Amino acid sequence: MSRGEWIGFYSLLRRECYRFLSIPRQTVAGPLLETFLYISVFGAALGSRIDQIHGVSYVVFIIPGLLLMSMIMNSYANNSSSLFQQKMMHAIDDQLASPVSNYSLLVAYTVAGLLRALIIVTIAFATASLMVHLPMEHLWIFVLGLTLSGLFFASIGVLVGLISTTFDQISSYQTFVLQPLIFLGGVFYSVALLPEPFKTLTHFDPIFYMINTVRYGMLGHSDVNPYWSLLAITVATIAIITINAHLFKRGYKLRS
Amino acid sequence: MSVTKKDEKLALQVKGLKKTYNDGKVKALKGIDLEIKSGQFFGLLGPNGAGKSTLIHTIMGLAKPTSGSASVFGADVVDDYQAARTYAGFSPQDINLDWFLTVEQTLDFHGGYYGMTKKERAKRIDELLKVFSLTEKKKSRAMFLSGGMKRRTVIARALMHRPKFLILDEPTAGVDVELRRDLWKYVQEINKQGTTILLTTHYIEEAEELCDQIALINDGKILKVGTVSELKKAFKVKTLEDVYLKATGDKQETPV
Repeated sequence: MSRGEWIGFYSLLRRECYRFLSIPRQTVAGPLLETFLYISVFGAALGSRIDQIHGVSYVVFIIPGLLLMSMIMNSYANNSSSLFQQKMMHAIDDQLASPVSNYSLLVAYTVAGLLRALIIVTIAFATASLMVHLPMEHLWIFVLGLTLSGLFFASIGVLVGLISTTFDQISSYQTFVLQPLIFLGGVFYSVALLPEPFKTLTHFDPIFYMINTVRYGMLGHSDVNPYWSLLAITVATIAIITINAHLFKRGYKLRS
Repeated sequence: MSVTKKDEKLALQVKGLKKTYNDGKVKALKGIDLEIKSGQFFGLLGPNGAGKSTLIHTIMGLAKPTSGSASVFGADVVDDYQAARTYAGFSPQDINLDWFLTVEQTLDFHGGYYGMTKKERAKRIDELLKVFSLTEKKKSRAMFLSGGMKRRTVIARALMHRPKFLILDEPTAGVDVELRRDLWKYVQEINKQGTTILLTTHYIEEAEELCDQIALINDGKILKVGTVSELKKAFKVKTLEDVYLKATGDKQETPV
């Protein structure tokens, strides 16, 4: 990559980051508040009446899942809405008509959402650790699980932003696909507590594996083998990035 | 960015360029052959839907050619797109600014996409803000600018990376006399300094006054290319407006 290409890529990424940093109440403070409302209501208020799960208090049990939920929602929301907005304003034409490569475009749009989610999750983690004692059994699995899951949904966000033609479509994916999968994936409970057939059905939810990987990293307990889960998330992330790279190369819904 | 120099004499060379949409049902360009020499002030005249914007979008990489080729200063717009787009600057017919960016940011990010360093960008932004009387508005977001100011910003953006080949697609549509006068003064000046200009306009008198070569386009085909006097002679009429009406009017009478 030449110096000019680096500057081109950096400018794309800078513009994307500027977008969410210039509206911090909506893009950073809002999601942080949401995470703390969950911790307060489900963890502190309701959690005081719930026994320990796998040897930890309920509030500590749900924190890995809440951090993952924040990671997923923010990386997805940022990229889907940003790319869609750029398309609707036709402002993306200025980038498409410039010498920056299709891959630079894809990476910049993908990484921006991941960065936004990482900022929020890092602040949420730091603040939560001041409120309750958070164990950290396998740091690298915790970080890798969170980051890969964020990258996967950052890429899903790019894909949805690319194919969507209305704002309604973007929010529909979030409301009717992502949120149910996150809630039913075991953010607030262990799958071991579920009766059949819900226990088996949960295994078809990909977010279930992500939650358990991150939970294993922090608490040292998982309902499934965390290494296989990590491998599955890696494969899924590579697959979605490959699909996006192909679509960007073709100029799908970008170049007529 | 890598820039290859193959043919300095031709700013634009288009060979047998075809562009179809909807699986070939809509034929926007039906085999365009066109050459623009370096340093020319070239006009492209034709009615709405003639194929002017499609041709320009294909040159700029916003549309993919179905067959045929186009090159800017010898750089193929598909195979050597980085060089082709570095040579070209494009001011589109429709305002495509990012509403949330200020005038200064719009120019700064654009310069970045073309690999300009921070220092180069700052210097160039200052120059362009002065030329287009935008200095007072440099911190204004695009959404709060008047129509004329938006148009000034779009044209300044096209000039930001000092293109050798400037494409102005209907730059004076709906703008006030002052901008029109300033714009033509500046564009004529950079043309004298060596910048090749491709202008599309519905104002025939503008084309007659500014362009040293004109191409008439209709129904996706180039009808005739020549100087104003050559065209008048070829169509046996006294004014360029009559040339235009005769060329496009004849076409309209053709049964569809």
